[in-house]
Amino acid sequence: MTIEAQTPQTQVVDTAVREITEWLFAEAALLDAGKYREWLDLMAQDLHYVVPLRVTREREAETDIIEGMTLMDDDWDTMEMRVLRLETEYAWAEDPPSRSRHFVTNVRVVGGDKDDEFKVASNLLLYRTRGDVPTYDILSGERHDVLRRVDDGFHMVQRVVVLDQTTIMTHNFALIM
Amino acid sequence: MSVTEEHQSQLSDKLRHNLEKGLHDVQARWTVPTAFLNDPEVHDVERERVFGRSWVYLAHESEIAKPGDYVVRYIAEDQFIVTRGEDGNVRAHLNSCRHRGMQICRAEMGNTSHFRCPYHGWTYNNGGKLVGVPAGKEGYDNKLEKADWNLRSIPQLDTYKGMIFGCLDPHAESLSDYLGDFKFYLDIVMDRSDAGMEVVGAPQRWIVDANWKLGSDNFVGDAYHTMMTHRSMVELGMAPPDPMFALYGEHVHTEHGHGIGIIGPPPGIPLPEFMGMPDNIIDEMKARLKPEQVEIFRPNNFIHGNVFPNLSIGNFMISKDHVSAPTAFLTLRLWHPLGPGKMEVYSFFLVEKDAPDWFKEEGYKTYLHTFGISGAFEQDDAENWRSITRVLAGQFARKGDLNYQMGRGALTPDPDWPGPGVAYPMDYAEANQRNFLEYWMELMLEDRPVSDKPSEAHRSPNGAQGNGKVEALAGTKETVEA
Repeated sequence: MTIEAQTPQTQVVDTAVREITEWLFAEAALLDAGKYREWLDLMAQDLHYVVPLRVTREREAETDIIEGMTLMDDDWDTMEMRVLRLETEYAWAEDPPSRSRHFVTNVRVVGGDKDDEFKVASNLLLYRTRGDVPTYDILSGERHDVLRRVDDGFHMVQRVVVLDQTTIMTHNFALIM
Repeated sequence: MSVTEEHQSQLSDKLRHNLEKGLHDVQARWTVPTAFLNDPEVHDVERERVFGRSWVYLAHESEIAKPGDYVVRYIAEDQFIVTRGEDGNVRAHLNSCRHRGMQICRAEMGNTSHFRCPYHGWTYNNGGKLVGVPAGKEGYDNKLEKADWNLRSIPQLDTYKGMIFGCLDPHAESLSDYLGDFKFYLDIVMDRSDAGMEVVGAPQRWIVDANWKLGSDNFVGDAYHTMMTHRSMVELGMAPPDPMFALYGEHVHTEHGHGIGIIGPPPGIPLPEFMGMPDNIIDEMKARLKPEQVEIFRPNNFIHGNVFPNLSIGNFMISKDHVSAPTAFLTLRLWHPLGPGKMEVYSFFLVEKDAPDWFKEEGYKTYLHTFGISGAFEQDDAENWRSITRVLAGQFARKGDLNYQMGRGALTPDPDWPGPGVAYPMDYAEANQRNFLEYWMELMLEDRPVSDKPSEAHRSPNGAQGNGKVEALAGTKETVEA
């Protein structure tokens, strides 16, 4: 997959930037509150949510992202399955729940491939603790989203979360990034 | 003290006592001391006596298909470059320069004809031979015997059906003997097609703060946990709704701690034969496997197993979500030990090279959404294993026993089972887990000297069983000299 650099020349108008930034913050608030059903309502039916698998390669290598295998590769149905799972009383991985904080920074918005779409890049620092253990997990990454304007705001069409790790320093991806 | 004795790890009286008690209890009481799951001394001894002597899985041949391809993999802390040479042979070199010990390869995978050490520039070809030393004339007066300073080869390397294993003990039995009767079951999973299996992409790697043995213990024989650990998946219709599903299975173990569980659908549940594999693979499988292997596989939905010590197999027919039909997939995974309470999981997805694209795609999606770091099943496994590990760190907790008494007094071996090993006629049993831990305890107690000297018997690895040749000989010269 290719991830395009975004240059200041292609920045869209301020109002859209403000709306989209607020949307990302509101999304993070839902995730940190464990409101996954409400979060799913923000997803487009043609959602594609991917967390690529990276490996350590030399600088001269074309890419450090693996083709054919990922850490997550969801569509709307599989995402609904994750939400339904968390709604059962037996989702031990998140019951008791983690405490999480999605730190969303460095938001960059450019026009998308379609008139009603935007490409949105953001940096994510996900902080996670579980139980009373005095340790924490931190995941750092860059999210590349495609947001589509709908009547009541935006729906997310695509998210690619490129994490800054090869060996992932958390015991599972029970949280959405 | 001789050289060989220096290499032998010592057990404390306390650990020796615990292991002896454990060996007695696992046979007499069907219990195992809790002390083995989170103890620094156990981990130290284990690295040498278990990981230093066993055949440990490193890679699959398909990961290094072309000359020059390499992956960097581990046996405990030891890091090896597993590579295919220009001659097509598979080798494994310690990833450490002979001059000052620097990592000569700091990538995880790639393709190269040579490895140049970043520290002082010593250059090795991918056969492990030292071919270039900067300032050879000025610094060494041309007197450095390069042939004496090749990369150290892994003491033993061999393949079985595309799976590359390494062993740090030059005196250990051959891979073929080590796998023994378990090859019969590995074949059912790994040898179905003419073109063989391929690893897709690369393994997912992640850290679980849990003891590695909990992964092996789970896969070697534990169908029982499905209904509670994976209850969320039962509720979504993605795991068997019948709490007695594992009654329609077989529970089999062989020597050296290996074990497997094989489960079919309950009578009257219409699931396709052979896990609904593609027709071309079923045709090839029927021609390749023995009739009794074909019949064992015919009614299957779930195969779980473990090759001692830490390579687990999952061949499951599950759905990728709550609205899709089930598809079979195969995963191999390594529970790589990082400490008494920490492991790194390497989770591989494999598929038959000549399977149709629809099967590869559906298998990939099904694997991803059920197992692996984000899988809806495996998420809950990781949570359980880390919680067990945490609570067993306590000194009082370590003085208890774990219960492996399922089937005690009731379960007897299956006289009609057509395969080798000790088989029980249902998969609600813990004989495989006891067999795994019993062999582990035997290794831990064995005061066998560990030596660097290769034995004559193992100078010619049997590469004929794999798709390619292996070579573990480049280091022979320096190990003899050691």
